Amino acid sequence: MKKLVEIKDVCKIYNPGENEVRALNHVNLTIGENEFVAIIGQSGSGKSTLMNMIGCLDIPTSGKYYLHGKDVSHMSDDEQSDIRNEEIGFIFQGFNLIQSLTAMENVELPLIYRGIGKRERDRLAEVALNSVGLEKRKNHRPNEMSGGQQQRVAIARAIAQAPPILLADEPTGNLDSSSSKEIIKIIKRLYREGRTVIVITHDSGIAKQAKRIITISDGEIQSDIINPDYKED
Amino acid sequence: MGTIGEYIKSAIASIKNNKGRSFLTMLGIIIGIAAVLTILVIGDGLKAEASGQMSSLETTTIDISIDLSKTDKCFTPANMDAIEQSMNCIYGLSPQITLYGTGKGRKATYSIYLTGGSDVLSHSGSNKILYGRYFTRDDVEASNNVCVISETAAINLFGYVNAIGETIEITSEDMTSEFTVVGVRENTSLDKSYATQVDDKPVLTGDIPYTAAAQAYNYDVNSLFTDVKAYLHEDNKDIAMSKMKSVVENVTGLRGEDAVKVTASYGMDESTKNILSVVTIVIALIASISLIVGGIGVMNIMIVSVTERTREIGIRKSLGARTSSILVQFLAEAAILTFTGGVFGIVLGLFFAKMLCTGIGFTFIVNPILVIIVVGISISVGLFFGIYPANRASKLNPIDALRSE
Repeated sequence: MKKLVEIKDVCKIYNPGENEVRALNHVNLTIGENEFVAIIGQSGSGKSTLMNMIGCLDIPTSGKYYLHGKDVSHMSDDEQSDIRNEEIGFIFQGFNLIQSLTAMENVELPLIYRGIGKRERDRLAEVALNSVGLEKRKNHRPNEMSGGQQQRVAIARAIAQAPPILLADEPTGNLDSSSSKEIIKIIKRLYREGRTVIVITHDSGIAKQAKRIITISDGEIQSDIINPDYKED
Repeated sequence: MGTIGEYIKSAIASIKNNKGRSFLTMLGIIIGIAAVLTILVIGDGLKAEASGQMSSLETTTIDISIDLSKTDKCFTPANMDAIEQSMNCIYGLSPQITLYGTGKGRKATYSIYLTGGSDVLSHSGSNKILYGRYFTRDDVEASNNVCVISETAAINLFGYVNAIGETIEITSEDMTSEFTVVGVRENTSLDKSYATQVDDKPVLTGDIPYTAAAQAYNYDVNSLFTDVKAYLHEDNKDIAMSKMKSVVENVTGLRGEDAVKVTASYGMDESTKNILSVVTIVIALIASISLIVGGIGVMNIMIVSVTERTREIGIRKSLGARTSSILVQFLAEAAILTFTGGVFGIVLGLFFAKMLCTGIGFTFIVNPILVIIVVGISISVGLFFGIYPANRASKLNPIDALRSE
C-alpha cells in the first residue's frame, strides 16, 4: 500500500514559553491509499490540531509531514493553498457553504481555484452533485436546503476536483440521526470507490463506522486499531 | 490567470447582495465624480468663451503707436493709406475714437457707445452682419454719418431688428448729429456686459466711421491719432511684424527718431488660457476632496465587508484560494463599486454641467478624453482605497477564519 499521509515525530506547540500548550506531542502516523480512518478524541485532545495539520491548514512546530511523498511541513501560504486544492477535500461540521452562492456555484469553487474552464467546471460539478443525489437542487442556495442536503452539497464540493483525501471534521455533528445515517452512507461509498477518508470525531458511534480507529488524547496517539466491527453496509 | 473573470463575477454578486449598502457607499463617489466633472466641463466652456472672438476668426492685431514726447507727427488718413499700400499682408489700419452719448430712435432713447474706426473694424470680431452691410472705405473717406448697430440696439431703439435706413439722433454734451443705420450685426460680448449698465437699462453699441465721429466732435482727423491698430490674418503676423516698424517710419518720416512702437497683441491669449486652466484645476482639486471622502467610505464599507465575510474567506482559502485570489476578489469589488459610482457620477455631472452651461450661456463642450480620465480616476479610487481591506482579507489565517462566526 502506498503511503499517502506520513507524519513523523510532529509537535505543535502554542504559546512557546512558560504557558506553552503542546497540542501535538511527538505524533507519528501513517495513512495509506484507500483507507477509512476515524480519529477520535475528546475536545482539547489535539484532534483538531491534527486535522489542521493533515489538511495543510497549519504547519508543525517540529517534525515532518509528507503528503503524497512530498514534504509539506514548511510551505508558504500559497503553496499550502495549492496543496489543499489538489490533495484534500474538506467536509466540515458546519457545512461551510457560501450562503450567497447556489449549490452548483459552491461545488465549482475549488475548480475555479484550480483554474478549470467554465464548461468543464459545470460538467464536473454536475457529476459531483449527481453522485450525492442533488441534481435537482443545483440552483438552490444553502438557506433553501435542509442540513442533510447542505452537507451533501459540501461533500459534492469536496469530491468535485477528485482529491485523493477526504477530510471530514465531525461531518454529522449538526445533523439529526436520519440525515447522519445518510451522510455516513455516502462517506462509506466514497471510500469503497477508492478514496482515502479520514473522519475526525468525538463520537464513538461515528468512529465505529470506520475501518481503522485512531484514538488521540493529550496530543498523543493512544491507540491505533483495525475496527473488528467494521461492516460494509 | 483566466480566473479573474470569476473573481469579478463573485465581486458583482456580493455587491448585488447588499444593494442598499452598496448604493450608499457609491453615493460618495457619485457626488465626487459629478462635482469634479461638472467643474472641468464648465472650465472648458469658460476657456472656449474667453478665447472665443479673435481666435475663431483667426484675426489678430498689431498695435502701432507714435511717442508724442519725441515728435509732433501723428497718423493721418493719408499716411495710413500709404502704410496700407506698402503692407499688403494686412487687412488694413484703423484708429479708434469713441462717441458716447444718448441715442434717440423712433421708439426710445438709450445711452449709446459708438466705436469709430475704419472699415477694417469689420474684421475685429465674430459678430456677423445680420442685415444690410458694414460701412465702406468710401463712407470713411466721405465722413458719411452711417452706422452699424447691434441687434439689441436695433430692437431697443426701433422695436425691430431689420432697422436699415432708420436714423439715430446722437447727443453728446452740446453736439447733436444724425446717423443712418446701414447695417445690423449680432451682439458681441460687449453687448452682454452692457446689458444692464445704466439704471438697469442697457448701453447700446454700434460702429461708425472714425471720420464721422471726429466730425461730430469737430476734431481734425489729421492731428488726432497717435495709436492705430493693424488688422491681419494670424498667419501673416510674423511677416507683418518684421516689416511694420520700418514701413511706418518711412511713411511718417520718423526714421531714426525711435518714436514708433509696434506691439503684437494677442486676441484672448495663451496666458489668459493658462490662468483659466489653473483656476479650473484648483477648483477641481477642491471638488476632488469629496472624492477622497467617498473613497474613505468605500474603504470603510470594505473593511466591514471583510469582517462580515471572514468565514467565507476561510472557506475559500481551505478550498485552495491563494492570497492573490482573495486580494483580487476584494480589490475587484472595491473597483467595481467605484466604477459603477463613477458612471452614475458622469451622467449626473454632465447633466449638471449642461444645465449650468445653458444657464450661464457657455457652450457645452464634452471632451471624450476627459470622460475617459474620470472613469480611470473612479476605478483608481476603488483600487487605492480597496488595497488596505483587501490585503487584510487575503492575509487572514484560514484556521481562525473558519472558526469565526
